Amino acid sequence: MSADSTAQSTPPPVVQVRDMDFCYGASKALFDINLKVEYHRVTALIGPSGCGKSTLLRCINRMNDRVPSARVTKGEVLVKGKNIHDADVDLTQLRKQVGMVFQKSNPFPKSIYENVAYGLRIHGEKNKSVLDEAVERSLTHAALWEELKDRLQANALALSGGQQQRLCIARAIATVPDVLLMDEPCSALDPISTLKIEELMHQLAHEFTVVIVTHNMQQAVRVSDYTAFLHLGKLIEFAPTEELFTNPREKLTEAYLRGTFS
Amino acid sequence: MFSTAGFCLISGAPDSRRMNSLPPPSRPPLRSVLLMSRKRTILGLDPQKLIKYFFGSNASVAIIVLVLIMVFLLREGIDFLPTYQRELQTYRRAGLEFCDIIDQPLQRNQALSSSLRQAVSASLETLSKPARDRRDAAFLLKRQVEDKTVQQRESLTQALEKTPPAPEQIEVFRRELGETSVAAAKALVYPAFFSAAESEQLQREFAALTPEVTDLPPLLQTLVAEFSAKDREARTKFAALVQAQEEFEEATEPLQEVVDELKAKALETKEKAVEFEVLETNRQRLLEAAATETDPKEKASLTKEAEESVSEAVNLKESIKEITGRTAELREQVEKYAVVIEKAAAVLPKEAGTGAARKLVNEVREGIPEHAREMRAAAATLEGWRWDKPVSIFSVIGAFFFGTQWITNSSWQDFFGFVPLLSGSLVIAAIAILIATPVSVVAAIYTNQFASEREKELIKPVIEFIQAIPSVVLGFIGISLVGNLIKDVSEWGWLQWVPGFPIQERLNMFNAGCLLAFMAVPTMFSLSEDALNNVPRAYIDASDALGATKLQTVFRVIVPAGISGILSAILLGLGRVVGETMVVLLVAGNRIAIPDFSAGPGVIFQPAHTLTGIIAQELGEVSRGSSHWQALFMVGIVLFAISLLVNWCARAVARRFEPHKA
Repeated sequence: MSADSTAQSTPPPVVQVRDMDFCYGASKALFDINLKVEYHRVTALIGPSGCGKSTLLRCINRMNDRVPSARVTKGEVLVKGKNIHDADVDLTQLRKQVGMVFQKSNPFPKSIYENVAYGLRIHGEKNKSVLDEAVERSLTHAALWEELKDRLQANALALSGGQQQRLCIARAIATVPDVLLMDEPCSALDPISTLKIEELMHQLAHEFTVVIVTHNMQQAVRVSDYTAFLHLGKLIEFAPTEELFTNPREKLTEAYLRGTFS
Repeated sequence: MFSTAGFCLISGAPDSRRMNSLPPPSRPPLRSVLLMSRKRTILGLDPQKLIKYFFGSNASVAIIVLVLIMVFLLREGIDFLPTYQRELQTYRRAGLEFCDIIDQPLQRNQALSSSLRQAVSASLETLSKPARDRRDAAFLLKRQVEDKTVQQRESLTQALEKTPPAPEQIEVFRRELGETSVAAAKALVYPAFFSAAESEQLQREFAALTPEVTDLPPLLQTLVAEFSAKDREARTKFAALVQAQEEFEEATEPLQEVVDELKAKALETKEKAVEFEVLETNRQRLLEAAATETDPKEKASLTKEAEESVSEAVNLKESIKEITGRTAELREQVEKYAVVIEKAAAVLPKEAGTGAARKLVNEVREGIPEHAREMRAAAATLEGWRWDKPVSIFSVIGAFFFGTQWITNSSWQDFFGFVPLLSGSLVIAAIAILIATPVSVVAAIYTNQFASEREKELIKPVIEFIQAIPSVVLGFIGISLVGNLIKDVSEWGWLQWVPGFPIQERLNMFNAGCLLAFMAVPTMFSLSEDALNNVPRAYIDASDALGATKLQTVFRVIVPAGISGILSAILLGLGRVVGETMVVLLVAGNRIAIPDFSAGPGVIFQPAHTLTGIIAQELGEVSRGSSHWQALFMVGIVLFAISLLVNWCARAVARRFEPHKA
């Protein structure tokens, strides 16, 4: 497949999906997926609605575990070389390494500080100075520190939509994950907030590996280094973003980029 | 004209679209459409509006009924204050209040002397108990023999009384009685504290019992004498205690005599005053009727009747003099009484027969000076007391809301104090909520977050079914099952560290609280479960994605987010508990007194009465419009106010903590 040919660099991929099939009960949602996600790169998953891009994203931190009949039926998912479905994998540790930001901003109804500190607290961190430092670092990364440093105890739900989504990013990176999964993080935001988050993603890529699902192709062009195109549960093409958009190898990709189907 | 225009407007549209292959849908001409809507009217009204009014009126009926209930309650209850004011005024003017100044604190004397009596008998028993047990056991055995031979004895007695006597018959009966007595005496079980010789002698004596001999058999006489000797010995040993107790009991007599005389006088005045008031009200009514009567003949007869019923008003001023005139004497008696009991306390020995008795004696010794102080203080206030001091409406309100006595149908004076009922209701509600809250909230968390679908299908309907149990059935369970259970458990040896154990009453506040908790669980469970269910899925997603375990998500995210709903569920449960009647009426023990909070947490095992229970119990038996009737309506008003307040709080809490919807 195309994915193999494009990712030949060192260091090894942080996330690797090998020959994976995924089912919701009897219906197969993903077919024979192969994907390599490079360190400190932004990888975008694009495709029409219902193509399985969110499902693929949720396979990486096993969020699909909560759907009763959903399971991986073939192949494997490796994070930093470790099969995440192995019996000795601790789900809480996996999710600490693979953070996630959702389509709709979902801060807890707590203070801004508590929202960011939540991830550390549940992993047992009690030291106040460590927490303070992590909150400041995360909010700075999320470009919120200057705006919010004076009202860390305010309720997070009082923030604007864009701020809330950046707060969710801050919350996700507070535990210093290796990978940050973003499931259409801008779909509910206005253009200005979207722009801020896109800017943020470039910076985040310096420290984290980002995988983003988006239905907005311009966004994929703007933020990502690699792009994977999915259609009807199959990975059609995976290539560096510039290459995929300017010179798609598959006819299906070309048709989708032209907008002849949706 | 209309129809043509309308047709053109509508039919123009499809043509411009791509559907030119289909024929345009046929529509009735616009004119007939417009006219048709005017035709459908009911009683000249648009049916749409009629339906709207119908729904609106149904909603307003609920509000109107609520307002009517409030108005009715207020109308019946609000007259209570002036009525009670009048009654309290009579209570003062007739001198009853004056007597109570001394009589109320004097009640303490009874409690103290009862403690002393207990101490004395416990002390005496240390010496005399074995002798008494022997005596009592022997008498019991004798009674058993007599019971077994009762038939033969009667036959013999009848034969003996017969004239002329029939010696052969008497002989036959005597033999029969002898045989049965021997058999009965043999069959007895003789307690171990009788020696073998004694048992034998008793058996012989019982076998020889006959109806003619009324004297006790010799050994029984010896046993009686033994006990008297021991008792005398014990009384000598504890002479100081016995004497102190007697002195203490006698001390009250002269004072009580004076108080009783005054009380009788006051009561007489009061009865006269009440009678006069009744006659006077009737007379006023007759006069009013006469004023409105048009028939001159009727009018004359009514007026005449009214004039005839004029009675002489009681001269309160004169009769109160007879009471207040003896103030000095009363004070002197109180002083004497105080001196005597203080002296008794001083000679009260430190030692008593048993530990418990010593404790009682010590309590009394400490209690007497306080009691004497109270009595002296009461006597000092006698001078300041004025019979004609008016009873203000505020003191009436105070007497109701802060009154510590609820006494009805009394020959002396009725008091309608609200505190005993309120305290009972509050303690029971607190117990119920303390029990029900953890149970229902934890059950709700489990059902909502941990239970499988099958468990949910089982747990939810079962808990909600509890609501369908009639409360009177729960009352049965409380009386027959829970009461006995609590009592039995309270007698277990290793549980004696629990305050209040072993309990005295099967029907008590704890029992009622348990049952009410059971009744409140469905409400609190369902509402808490709803509250947890309403926590946005997104919060749980976020927490899971950060690697939280299930328990961390539940306790750090879901419960805090649902806390407003849970709190309002608890408050609504409280509303249910405060308003519940049948269970508390059956199970709470119905003792109208403020629970003795000095007993510490053990107070929950005392019986009490409640706001709801008192209404249910007494309203059916009081005469309509009497002060008692009105007092019960006042209780109803307060109950209504409490329920409104609790519900309002529940709503306020739900609103206050509602998270902003993002």
